[in-house]
Amino acid sequence: MSEPIEILMYQVGARCFASDVHDVRAIRHGITNREDALITSSALGDPFLGDRGLTVELDGVENTLVVDQVLGVRLVTDHELQRLPAIVDALVPSRALVGLAVLDDAPTLLIDLPTLIRETKRQ
Amino acid sequence: MAESEGARGGRLAAAVASAPGPNAQAAAAPEVTLFCLELLGGRYAFQASLVTEVVRLGPLTRLPSAPAFLPGVFTHRGEVLAVLDIAQLVGREPIAITPSTRAAIATSGAWRVAVIAESIEGLVTIPGRNVEGPPANAASGPAEFLSGVARDHRGTIAILELPRLVEVARARSIPA
Repeated sequence: MSEPIEILMYQVGARCFASDVHDVRAIRHGITNREDALITSSALGDPFLGDRGLTVELDGVENTLVVDQVLGVRLVTDHELQRLPAIVDALVPSRALVGLAVLDDAPTLLIDLPTLIRETKRQ
Repeated sequence: MAESEGARGGRLAAAVASAPGPNAQAAAAPEVTLFCLELLGGRYAFQASLVTEVVRLGPLTRLPSAPAFLPGVFTHRGEVLAVLDIAQLVGREPIAITPSTRAAIATSGAWRVAVIAESIEGLVTIPGRNVEGPPANAASGPAEFLSGVARDHRGTIAILELPRLVEVARARSIPA
């Protein structure tokens, strides 16, 4: 059994996601659409209000993914983590989906934020 | 006596060797067991050995950027299973996902998937002579991932080939 890891849980639109807390450099409040390097829409969907942001450094540049809510940090052990089925790897083009955290019987998608931002900027 | 027994045994052995075995009829026309489900208004099936379970769908976790025919994943006894909607794969209306929707869990090699259906019929055993190859015009629609067509007293059953199904799904999920 490996060390527990900290995941940051957040909401975009109606859905909850989680990412490695160490990928997030800052959590921002009261962001506006006028700011640079703001990612307002991604494969995770469109936020309802989008007044929170998760800032991630990518290739020396800060990028902020706009989200609706930051739900908190949770410590998870490896028995709460699940790989995605092989068929998902085969059929979903995004490499940002890295697995699931099954918390209280609810599967929450684990997102690799740097990959998500890289893919979103490429589109 | 011993000689006679030996002779009788010899004749018997020869007779037994040339007689049709108890399963000879079955060997001549082996039966095929299929697991049938209703899809696209018709009867479809997997080879029964590929279907391990029928389950009611739990709450689905939608997958970002997934194709429409992969509506999400759910957990079943601690295992994460992907849901496949064949109707959407062939461009038809999605199968409604409700609390009573059931799925057949099919496994073939690395692929394990919960295929949702309009309804589940269950196991059907059909004489091998009633199974034919896939239709010749298998270039589009569900026909492209069929391994054969079977017939019984209720009509036609299209036999799905899971690896081919995944191959077609994969081709359709890659943006052009």
